[in-house]
Amino acid sequence: MDFASAAYDVDDAFAANELFLDNGWTDGLPIVPPTATLVRAFLDAARLTPGDVVGVEPVRRRRIAAEKVAIAAVMAGCRPEYMPVVLAVVRALCDTGYGLHGVSASTGGSAPFIVVNGPIRNAIGMNATHNALANASRANATIGRTTRLIILNVLHGVPGGLDRSTLGHPGKFTYCVAEDEDGSPWLPLSVERGVPAGDSAVTILAALGPHQVLNEWTRDPREILDTYVGAIRGNMLTYSIWAGHYAMVIGRQNREVFAAAGWSKKDIREYVHERAWVKRSDWAAVGKAAVVGKDPDRVHTALRTPDDLLVVSAGGPAGGFGAIIPPWLGAKSLAVTMRIEEKP
Amino acid sequence: MTIRVLDPRVDPELEPLSLAPAAVLSGATIGLLDNAKIGTASFYNHLEDLLRKHGVREFIRRRKPDTSRPVPPEMLAELAVADAIVSGIGD
Repeated sequence: MDFASAAYDVDDAFAANELFLDNGWTDGLPIVPPTATLVRAFLDAARLTPGDVVGVEPVRRRRIAAEKVAIAAVMAGCRPEYMPVVLAVVRALCDTGYGLHGVSASTGGSAPFIVVNGPIRNAIGMNATHNALANASRANATIGRTTRLIILNVLHGVPGGLDRSTLGHPGKFTYCVAEDEDGSPWLPLSVERGVPAGDSAVTILAALGPHQVLNEWTRDPREILDTYVGAIRGNMLTYSIWAGHYAMVIGRQNREVFAAAGWSKKDIREYVHERAWVKRSDWAAVGKAAVVGKDPDRVHTALRTPDDLLVVSAGGPAGGFGAIIPPWLGAKSLAVTMRIEEKP
Repeated sequence: MTIRVLDPRVDPELEPLSLAPAAVLSGATIGLLDNAKIGTASFYNHLEDLLRKHGVREFIRRRKPDTSRPVPPEMLAELAVADAIVSGIGD
């Protein structure tokens, strides 16, 4: 198996880290040195050869070779069996609708928020419960990190280079969650978005950081949703008013309210679509009177249709918490769902 | 014992480019491609004034429908009749 990548001889793993960190080839954290042996094992797990093209970035037409994906996965700390998930994420990133170039280059710092559905979640030990949006599982952490390392090294999304983010957010290190399908009465996100039940899939959204909400003082599903809608309206006024995909992560305690009332994800999407809107004149109250314009009564909805809301079950068993995860910039980047190709 | 590690980067696969001959401004038609960022229109207004003083006769101004995606081919075709095109990038 021949690799196209240049190779460097270093004394040990520490020296390898110094080389990578000094050259800006990492996210600032240490890496697992990508030796040929490890990279080969990762490619074998995915049944790929180094030169196989996994995806092509549509604007600059950069070809993303399997070899570079495997190198990034090794560096990030993945295990070889995570490769099918990583490959599906790369294919999703290269979907024209996602607009990878724009979201990576924008001053409005976003990160690919990754939701994993299907049997592979449990097979590779992904976390969907306690601390769901943060550190709890190697698979969650390293799959998300691999995505950043690919954007950094393969697409040259270097801060101050192609990446012009003013602030960015911590999800740019890693931003990956599994859906708690076992603890949910609902259809998985992937199934709602057209993937056959029983198949594994990833859904990605160019997203801001999670805005956590709390309501544990009602059994009325409408009141619970009004809290989430408040966070969406806040985002529309203080960040961006444009309609697009929003992700809504619902913790278990809130989910039980919906289950008791017989509400499906579809019911939730329709309620939020109807309620999540602002008028241009509302901007005046948050210091943006300058952009209200000539039609102050014009209504902007957060979602173009109810289907724009990605409802995700995740979180630990206790606490009336959830999160709104807003889009980078309206519908300029669309959520993409990609089936994970597992070994037959 | 040393270990051998692989380079994670991809070399840019750039097409070889060469500089076009400098445009003669006197009597020229200049295309101004607006990348739909907030300051571009006023910058191009200023640039138009400046270039008129240098003898530019006509301008073709087009605004991209989306900042972060490529120029639509039909818009590119409209601009292609210009002697030279100024293309805005970034903010």
